[in-house]
Order: sequence, then C-alpha cells, then structure tokens
Amino acid sequence: MTAHAPFTISRWLKAPRPLVWEVYSSPEHLQHWLGPKGSTVTHSQLDFQVGGTYHYAMKVEGGMELWGKWLFLELQAPEKLVLIQCFSDPQGGATRNPWAAGWPMYTHSTTTLTEQDGGTLMTLVWAPHEATAEEEALFAASHDSMRQGWGGNLDVLEDYLSLLQTA
Amino acid sequence: MQDALSTTFAALADPTRRAILARLSSGESSVSDLAKPFAMSAPAITKHLKVLQRAGLISQGRQAQWRPCKLEAQPLREAADWVAQYRQHWEDRLDRLEDYLATLQAPSTEEKP
Repeated sequence: MTAHAPFTISRWLKAPRPLVWEVYSSPEHLQHWLGPKGSTVTHSQLDFQVGGTYHYAMKVEGGMELWGKWLFLELQAPEKLVLIQCFSDPQGGATRNPWAAGWPMYTHSTTTLTEQDGGTLMTLVWAPHEATAEEEALFAASHDSMRQGWGGNLDVLEDYLSLLQTA
Repeated sequence: MQDALSTTFAALADPTRRAILARLSSGESSVSDLAKPFAMSAPAITKHLKVLQRAGLISQGRQAQWRPCKLEAQPLREAADWVAQYRQHWEDRLDRLEDYLATLQAPSTEEKP
C-alpha cells in the first residue's frame, strides 16, 4: 500500500459504454488510439483475458520507439479494467523508465467506466506497484507534491519559473 | 541508478526543503535567516541545505561573509517540465481515444477496424 495519493484523471466521452470497452479489447482498436498524437503504434499484441497481456511498441515524435506491457488483473466488461503496466523490451521483459531510472518498475491502473449523461465517464487511478519508498516518493512527487504539497508556495515558484523562461 | 530527475524529486519530497526553496524564490538569503521560520536546530537545517545543494537546486555563495543561499532554477524547471508532460501524456491519450470514438460513431464512416 502506498501512503501517497494515487494519480487520477477522468474524462467524459461521447460514446456508449460498450463501445468504450470495445476499443480496449482488440489490438486493432488499441493501435488507433493508444499513443499520443503524432505517434504510431508499431506493435500491438493482445491477449484480452485475466492473466493475459498486451505488448505494444510505439514510435513517438523524434523517432524513438517505446515498448510497454500490460498484465490484466481484472476485467469486468463493460465497467472495470485493472492492469499492471511496465516499460518493456521487444522480447517483453520489464525495463526501467527510460527518462527516470528511479521510477517504479511496475505501476497499477484501474480504469472505471460509468454511464453518465448519455455518454461514458472514464476514470483512471494510477499508483505504483511493488515499489520501494523512494520510487513511490518519486511517483507521488510527479503529481501530488507538486500540485498540492507545494500549497500556496506553488504559485510563487510558478511565477518565478515563468519569469525565468521569458528572461 | 540515480538520474538527475530522481535526485531532484527526492530532494523535493520533503516539506521543509520545499519551504526553503519557496523562500529562496523571492531572493537570496543567509543560512541563519533561512532557518528562522523553522523550529529546527541549525544542524538539521544544514542537512536539508546539503540535500538541496547536492541536487543542484541551490548554490551557496563563496565570497560574501554571510555565504548567501541562492535558488538554481534549471533542475526545478526540468522537474516542472516533467510534471507537465506527465499529465499531458494522459490528456493526449484521452484526446486520441475521444477522436477515435467519434470516428467509429460517425454515420458516414464505413470503416470498421
């Protein structure tokens, strides 16, 4: 268990819940939306069942190829999807975050789909999995400490940083 | 194994150190002035300053008698960029999902991947 608040993000999607579920459940669908804009999914191998994995590669802007892997822990169509994710190599072995070696090797995400206002509310909760205290602290610092822990001080620092950027 | 980003975040993980940085964002300060608002011994403050210094977040003047501490913006800026990217990564993914769902539901589109 982590002492830090997990990262959460939600988005209301203008689509029926079964369709949102469907786009998670086939490698062709995933290939269409998984990466950020400007990226291309170059490998998409899915075994959509509890205990199954999704192994993917995406080419991001600048040409770098990133490999990743999910392991499905819980699949409750069409409302809940729990998985463990990690960076990986082309063979599917877990690897460290290429930008921050102190990042947790594995992270745990729970995606919940709720029918709302004629569409679907997707909520994602993301937390470290089997991480050391240091890794958990780094994960947390990347969102909650910077956003909430700084409290009133954050504004001061943000102003200062923007000042430096314009200088 | 410790990269710059991890070192920065480890230094930022402590509330006292964040308060010290916020204090320094309004200008240089001597160690004794910095220590004043904290109910902490001088060695304890010095320990925090050492961590910040090792992370490159602050530097300490050599010339002046009072050796003022100064905020170094670069690592902080990199940390801020990382945080911004981090959330952006998820926002981007959701944008893309939203677009894709719209494509799938567009009446004129026959495309059924």
